[in-house]
Amino acid sequence: MFEPAFHFDEVNERQATFHRRAFLFGGVTGAGLLALAARLGDLQILEAGRYKVLSEHNEFEFRLTPPPRGLILDRNGVVLASNRPAFRLLVATDENVDIDKTLADLALLVPMDDARRARLAVDIANAPRRAPVAVVEDMTWEEFSRVNVRAPELPGVTADMGEVRVYPFGGAFTHVVGYVAKVNARDIAKTGPNADPILLNPGFRIGRQGVEKAFDLDLRGKAGARKVEVDVKGRVVRDDPGGDIPSTPGAPIRLTLDADIQNRALEVFGDDSGAAVMMDCRTGDVLCLASAPSFDANRFVKGLTGPEYKALSEYDRKPLFNKALTATYPPGSTFKTMVALAALEAGVSPDRTYVCNRHWFWGGRMWSCDAAHGVQDMHNAIKSSCDIFFYQTALSVGPDRIAAVARKFGLGQTFDLGIPGQKPGIVPDSAYKRRNFPHDPVWHAGETPSMGIGQGYVAVNALQLAVMVSRLANGARAIEPRLIHSIGDTVQPPGNAAGDLPIAKEHLDFVRTAMASVANDAGGTAYKQSQLGLGLIKLAGKTGTAQTHSYNGGRGAHGAQGAWALRDHAWFICFAPYDDPRYAMSVLVEHGGFGADAAAPKAVQLMRTALLKDPEVRARIVQPLPPASAPAPPEPAAT
Amino acid sequence: MTDSAISRPGERERIAVKLGEIDWLLAALLAAIAAIGALMLYSIAGGSWGPWADRHAILFTVCFLAMIALAVTDLRVWFALAYPVYAVGLLLLLAAAVVGHTRMGAQRWLDLGPIHIQPSEIIKIGLVMALARFYHSLPARSAGLSWWLLIPTALILVPAAVVAHQPDLGTAILIAGTGGIMMILAGLSLRLVAVGLVGLTAVVPLAVMFVLKGYQRARLLTFLNPEADRSGAGYHIIQSKIALGSGGLLGKGFGLGTQAQLNFLPEKSTDFMFASLAEEFGFVGCASVLLLYAAVIIIGLRIASVAHSHFGRLAAGGVIVTFSLCVIINGAMVMGLAPVVGVPMPLLSFGGTVMMTMMAGFALVQAVRVHRYSEVTSGRGALL
Repeated sequence: MFEPAFHFDEVNERQATFHRRAFLFGGVTGAGLLALAARLGDLQILEAGRYKVLSEHNEFEFRLTPPPRGLILDRNGVVLASNRPAFRLLVATDENVDIDKTLADLALLVPMDDARRARLAVDIANAPRRAPVAVVEDMTWEEFSRVNVRAPELPGVTADMGEVRVYPFGGAFTHVVGYVAKVNARDIAKTGPNADPILLNPGFRIGRQGVEKAFDLDLRGKAGARKVEVDVKGRVVRDDPGGDIPSTPGAPIRLTLDADIQNRALEVFGDDSGAAVMMDCRTGDVLCLASAPSFDANRFVKGLTGPEYKALSEYDRKPLFNKALTATYPPGSTFKTMVALAALEAGVSPDRTYVCNRHWFWGGRMWSCDAAHGVQDMHNAIKSSCDIFFYQTALSVGPDRIAAVARKFGLGQTFDLGIPGQKPGIVPDSAYKRRNFPHDPVWHAGETPSMGIGQGYVAVNALQLAVMVSRLANGARAIEPRLIHSIGDTVQPPGNAAGDLPIAKEHLDFVRTAMASVANDAGGTAYKQSQLGLGLIKLAGKTGTAQTHSYNGGRGAHGAQGAWALRDHAWFICFAPYDDPRYAMSVLVEHGGFGADAAAPKAVQLMRTALLKDPEVRARIVQPLPPASAPAPPEPAAT
Repeated sequence: MTDSAISRPGERERIAVKLGEIDWLLAALLAAIAAIGALMLYSIAGGSWGPWADRHAILFTVCFLAMIALAVTDLRVWFALAYPVYAVGLLLLLAAAVVGHTRMGAQRWLDLGPIHIQPSEIIKIGLVMALARFYHSLPARSAGLSWWLLIPTALILVPAAVVAHQPDLGTAILIAGTGGIMMILAGLSLRLVAVGLVGLTAVVPLAVMFVLKGYQRARLLTFLNPEADRSGAGYHIIQSKIALGSGGLLGKGFGLGTQAQLNFLPEKSTDFMFASLAEEFGFVGCASVLLLYAAVIIIGLRIASVAHSHFGRLAAGGVIVTFSLCVIINGAMVMGLAPVVGVPMPLLSFGGTVMMTMMAGFALVQAVRVHRYSEVTSGRGALL
């Protein structure tokens, strides 16, 4: 079939054409290959630098490592807020991972209801570059080991260890220390266009109240980063520890608070509502700043459930409210110390007397007192807290001079505590009426008697009264309260840098003597309730019973009677030791009734705690042991 | 040729002589390219023979042996099988269009029990053989300009249209390009070539707008401006250029190509294999491989030129044209000079059917070389 044939096709036209055109094709192909080589040279030699950078951007990612949050300590180094390790459960989507099935399996091992499961499935699906999503943030060891045992059957699930903020004293410090909570969109918007990327880290917490909020940036520290090699799907292929950027831990913050006194305050209050503020009256250090009842800050770290929040916000004793700073109340009779000082400074003689018949008619109405105190001079009027005396004294001094003295002692002011939430309250005078009552800009004489007993427009907070009594106690030194002792290694300026107030020493001594009588003389309003039981160490104080509600027809509701919300607020301000003042405090019991009965006993308990912790005071209380050489005294006979 | 044993009648029919006539340099070049491909596949699999390198090496070995067996097969057998191969290829192609297996969005595979056949690969070699067979019998004048040329035109356009319909634009361009260049090599009137080129430049933009499928148009437009669609169609081009560029002069080193290892480079084992190579071996490695390809093309064209038969000349030339087009289209695509079309880098890229086609083609080239003095036929058996 295939006959070999011999033809001179080699020389024919078709072959010649083929040769020419094959040569041409070879040339064109060669040119094409040269063009490719030129392009390669362009990309791989001239532009190699640019593409190397792009390649590294592909290859490496920095994963933020959150810094440990700074500790919050009390004055003695007791930890008020710290971090503990916590196991987190993360789920990430990946090829061949059925997220719905994984979540359904997980729900058998850790608590997770259907609504949460559905939400998590959406979060996981939307996570950028298959970033893991925290499914459970703070697992118990049992849950963690349960999940770990089943790990091979749970594709896409990983566990890691993070840190969770913990407040070892639960609620005692919440109003000062605050708490941390999840970052929300508002927090990010607030920081402007260049939000700290750590805010977006899953599980990151931001300071929400108190010190945690005010010093959030100091406590937060600076995030570090872990350099990792990732593949195209964002999966970490390996770590590159050489490229890690270490994180800077947050600075510790030391407060001036004393954990023992603060904890005692919450114990002493129990279910009562109120506030207690204690200061070292020599330095201005705030030793106790308690608001009761309080709430457990640890719950807020986890994220409060709806019913929990509802219960807290609807409780009529307002646990969420800081009653030491944010709430203002009429000071009641504690304000009489200011009226007395103003009178003395105005030249009124302390020996001037008024007669108290329990009722006093003036200005067309009847003004009342707790009892018929008879003839009262100033000392006795403070000791027995006679209203009739102070109605008339206030009238003789006038509101402006009373207000001037009260302001010198810190009322109507806010202080640089470092934490937000102070309300200045009101110290009224004629200027105040002009400013705030455009339709009635005149101070009427009829408004003065009320001011004389700390009612009417007068409104103060517990911190202001603590500052006031500190300045009274320390001989008119204008101390400022200091709550933040130090941020990291930076010690904040102490509160005793300012000089003395321009108040005559003998006038101050007069008021302090009268306050000692309140607590130590048989006729004092708080005599029974003010005994420290510490031998020679005595306190001096002043009670206050602030009317919150108009008594309908007389004084029937005075004291701890009637509906709780209508009762009087009870105040007690005091300092101790009387003869060498160190600690000064104010105690408020909301709707507690009489200051002496409701507030003074609490103040005494806290004062005892403070005094017994003070080694110098202890030295005065504790009697020296008999010399060792002396023979032991005989055993006392049993009686 | 001097007087030697080889000029004795019948001497050339001996197998041992035929084996000696095989172009072993060409065979060695092909083996070198395939070996580089196997090593790169080992590297980008993260230092593992599976899933690509072992299969690549085994398949090449099998194809290489088959190439030698086919190379000693008489050229007249090739000649006689030209139309049947083409016919079978076209039938399979049509069958795939009707009952084909859809994979990666295109109907390219014919599922015959255990084996999957890509008929477009068979038609590539079938077309080269059929065109060579046709022109073998066509006088030079008719090859220049005559109504006879409608036959090769149909031989080219029918399979090209079916493949384009699958849709597989890359292979369609390859088929049409190979056929067109073969017609030119066979002596098509240069005036007609000029007219055709002008017509093509007019028709291509219209075809882009009205004939191409959405994703094909997107690829073309993306090629013109890859930055416009970084995560979509432009992603392939950008990542490929990053792989190439970051390789630099000497490359990142064997097994150290991060673009490929971390899967930023798409289709790293097939269409973008050359980019994987470029990343790890840099400009020096790429230029060396391009030189190997150039050597193959030069040797191939030389074999075509020295063939005594017009069939052998055009058949070897056609195979080399397909091979060259593959190299240049794939290279241009990987470097961002051409739109992304599914044309692999011959012998370097992983892919069984493509390798079989290429090696069958080189078997034909070797057969032409072994039987370069053979005249095939005196005219009998020609179509006309």
